Amino acid sequence: MLLTPEVIAILILDTIFLLFACFAFYISIPIALKWDINSTSAFQYGLEKKAILVATIIKYIFVLKLPLFLFFIFTSDKISGVITGAMCAAGVVNSVDFGLSLFIFKILNLYIFGFWLFLHTEDMKDEKLKFTKLKFTIFIVAFLLLITEIFYEISFFTSLDVDKIVSCCGTLFSAASTSTISFIFDISNPVIVTAFYITFALYLITFFLKKESLFLASNILFFIVSVLSLILFFGTYIYELPTHHCPFCFLQKDYYYVGYALYITLFIGTFIGISGSILSILKPEFSQNYYRTSLIFNILYTLIVSVYPVVFYIRNGVWL
Amino acid sequence: MESKINHFMIGFAISSILRRGVKSFFTLFIFTSLIFLLSSILFISNSIKAELGFTLKSLPEITIQKLQAGRHTNIGINRIDKLLEFHGVVSAIPRTWGYYYFEKAGVNFSVVGIDSFDKQYKNSFESFVEDVDFDELSKNSSMIVGVGVKKALNDNYYKDYFNFVKPDGELQKVTIASTFKSSTSLESNDIILMPRDMVLDIFGMNENEATDIVLSVANPEEIPTIIEKIRNLYPDTRVITQNDLRVSYQNIFDYKSGMFLALFIISAFTFFMIVYDKASGLSSEEKKEIGILKAIGWKIDDILKEKFYEAFIISFLAFLSAIILALFFVYTLEAPLIKDIFIGYSRLKPTFDLPFVFDFQTVFLLFFLTIPLYLAAIIIPSWRVASMDADEVMR
Amino acid sequence: MIECKNLTKIFNKNKNDEHTALKNINLEFKAGEIIVLKGASGSGKSTLLALIAALSKPNDGEVIVNNKRISKMPDNFTSLFRRENIGFIFQKYNLIPTLSVKDNMILPLIPSNPDEKVLETAIDKLLEKFSMESKKNILVKQLSGGEQQRVAISRALINNPKIIIADEPTANLDGKLSLDFIKIIEQLKNASTTIVIATHDPLFFDLDFVDKIVELKNGEVIDVINS
Repeated sequence: MLLTPEVIAILILDTIFLLFACFAFYISIPIALKWDINSTSAFQYGLEKKAILVATIIKYIFVLKLPLFLFFIFTSDKISGVITGAMCAAGVVNSVDFGLSLFIFKILNLYIFGFWLFLHTEDMKDEKLKFTKLKFTIFIVAFLLLITEIFYEISFFTSLDVDKIVSCCGTLFSAASTSTISFIFDISNPVIVTAFYITFALYLITFFLKKESLFLASNILFFIVSVLSLILFFGTYIYELPTHHCPFCFLQKDYYYVGYALYITLFIGTFIGISGSILSILKPEFSQNYYRTSLIFNILYTLIVSVYPVVFYIRNGVWL
Repeated sequence: MESKINHFMIGFAISSILRRGVKSFFTLFIFTSLIFLLSSILFISNSIKAELGFTLKSLPEITIQKLQAGRHTNIGINRIDKLLEFHGVVSAIPRTWGYYYFEKAGVNFSVVGIDSFDKQYKNSFESFVEDVDFDELSKNSSMIVGVGVKKALNDNYYKDYFNFVKPDGELQKVTIASTFKSSTSLESNDIILMPRDMVLDIFGMNENEATDIVLSVANPEEIPTIIEKIRNLYPDTRVITQNDLRVSYQNIFDYKSGMFLALFIISAFTFFMIVYDKASGLSSEEKKEIGILKAIGWKIDDILKEKFYEAFIISFLAFLSAIILALFFVYTLEAPLIKDIFIGYSRLKPTFDLPFVFDFQTVFLLFFLTIPLYLAAIIIPSWRVASMDADEVMR
Repeated sequence: MIECKNLTKIFNKNKNDEHTALKNINLEFKAGEIIVLKGASGSGKSTLLALIAALSKPNDGEVIVNNKRISKMPDNFTSLFRRENIGFIFQKYNLIPTLSVKDNMILPLIPSNPDEKVLETAIDKLLEKFSMESKKNILVKQLSGGEQQRVAISRALINNPKIIIADEPTANLDGKLSLDFIKIIEQLKNASTTIVIATHDPLFFDLDFVDKIVELKNGEVIDVINS
């Protein structure tokens, strides 16, 4: 157990989220089951008002979770000074078995809660409120994911041990490691680079085809391949070290915080692409603007990430 | 959701706050107090941590103490030659020092003996030895004291000298040659520097003994190996590294701020209840106002948004004023009361100044610890008000 | 324009103090009409107004305005409907006394974040119409009863409503001010604005510009006079 002020802040917020989410969950069940927009019963009017309360609570949680995600990484970075062996957030997060799961849940929840708000905004534009039932069914699933994340997070902070020696990111993200993700290091550089640019090309093609389901799939693929290629290939050019694969260190000042620019552009680009496509499928008259926004951010990401190897090659005349 | 900022709404929110002057002021006041308390605690602990950080850097890499019956006792100087033989050890210096309890002021002084012929382990001492003629100090049996010591002595009318009581009850008069101020006050504040012989005399120690021995090494990577060797050679010693000290200090302070934060959680919870209660207990006038707004076309969302603006304005105002107040309290007034509680040993040590430390990380931390709490407290009451039936106004 | 079909409103349904405020009301008003709802207090006039403005929901039946079933709309949309279509004049003005005349007038438009210049022009126009130009920045609580009444009317008109709803508008006014109010209503009569006034003030019952007088008693329509 490590009680730094930062950890306490996160734990307090987790408690608030937990209480509010449970409350919202309790209200959501009747909405998901018994919602009937055509009914004129007092019960239905009550549900309509309660739906607004749930939406407000979700807005509150999401708006805080977004900066809190960065704060979490920052806190883990800071704790790495106390934990023997850890050099950055990666070491701290991986000092417990479920560190990676915690991380995946965090990212997944950001996407789902963001999408929920997207859907909510669209829902509130039409007086038929035809997405409400769907919205609340999604929330019930999202609630379970959120609860899992919060429990992971609480047990993460309570099981951190100052005396335990952990691996630093250098060993975690290497082919020799036995961690859960080490299998990806079997992929060779040329393969992953080619895969990345092919995925990007596919993404561009689906952009011009303007077919929602394809665009959705290409965005998901682009996200996954981007993260993998960032760890396997592009990261090494940011560090200018062929063996350093950490996806956290470039969030630090030494690399001009470039990691934040990368993750934020990638998140916005793929998030808008994914949620926009799903909404378009649900609601055919949905504005097509999301194609362009997604494109801008994904291109931006690709440009930033590509600049590193190119500049390295120009300066040194060789690849890493 | 409007993307443009609605300044009409902000204007209305401000006028709402002003119209409910007493209630708003009360909320503002308690929220400001809460943030003030919290930021003072964090500022103080940051300062002490920074201070300790400086101190740690100047501490020796390895300190060797002799234990007898589980207690720290004096170590023989003859061990130095053996220690120097270890590969990687650059220097081994015996230190002679101890605490002298000055009863009248109720404080402990750290009395440190120096030997100009040995290589000194502290930069600040070294420069001091260069500045002052050491032989003079020895000849006149005089000492150099830290600012805190000087103050404690002055308060008890020892202007130029001080009488140390030796173990046999005899008095040893030592004159004050000068005061010195090192870069950090926490470490040097309570220090008295005098020739080694005099320290031995005052504490009744043996000529061939020292309090402990400090080592410096060429390569920090070799520290574990060296420690291992020392333990094998002298099983009766305790070996402390700089890193051990760093972690234990960090733990003590995290623990202390943790205790304060536990206290904070209780006050935060109280605050939450107060705000919740205030936001729920609406006067009939306020209820009517909401009814009017809904009747003339405000949506539930609009009223929630307005309530959010109100909350944000109040909490932002409280946040800013609390931080400014806390900075003033901690760094100008030197945090009376709270500082004493925080540094547990303050009763035994002369006071010191808190170094100014201010970073944005702490501001973010404060933000996450306070503002979401306030917003959380108003969500449900605001919704309840906003979803009231608007036909109240017609009755 | 406004259609009430089988409207029934019961307060505290299924409780001891259950009270039927409206019983099976069927009414139809056309655009541009001025309608007076007549009846003693407790006859259901205010309840009917609240239903027409979608301030509350009927227990049975529906209200259709401009082909929209407003009685079935969710809360947020009824608010939007009121903002865009209805101007309210309440019995006790229902102004916020500690705000200025101008700030009271803009209240209905605040949520839609209007353009400053357009808003300013609209306010000045209305203030001129009611000879209140000099009072623009004065707090409402410092105004006389008649002036407050004019601010309340200005606020009801700021969104160019298609329907104006007035609930006992002259209950708190003396004889002269009541006549002033009636003059203002006459001025407002035009082809596109429907005005519904609930009152028990006899002054309204024999005005030649009123198109329809509906008499209510114990929650039921007992008489409809077309003039």
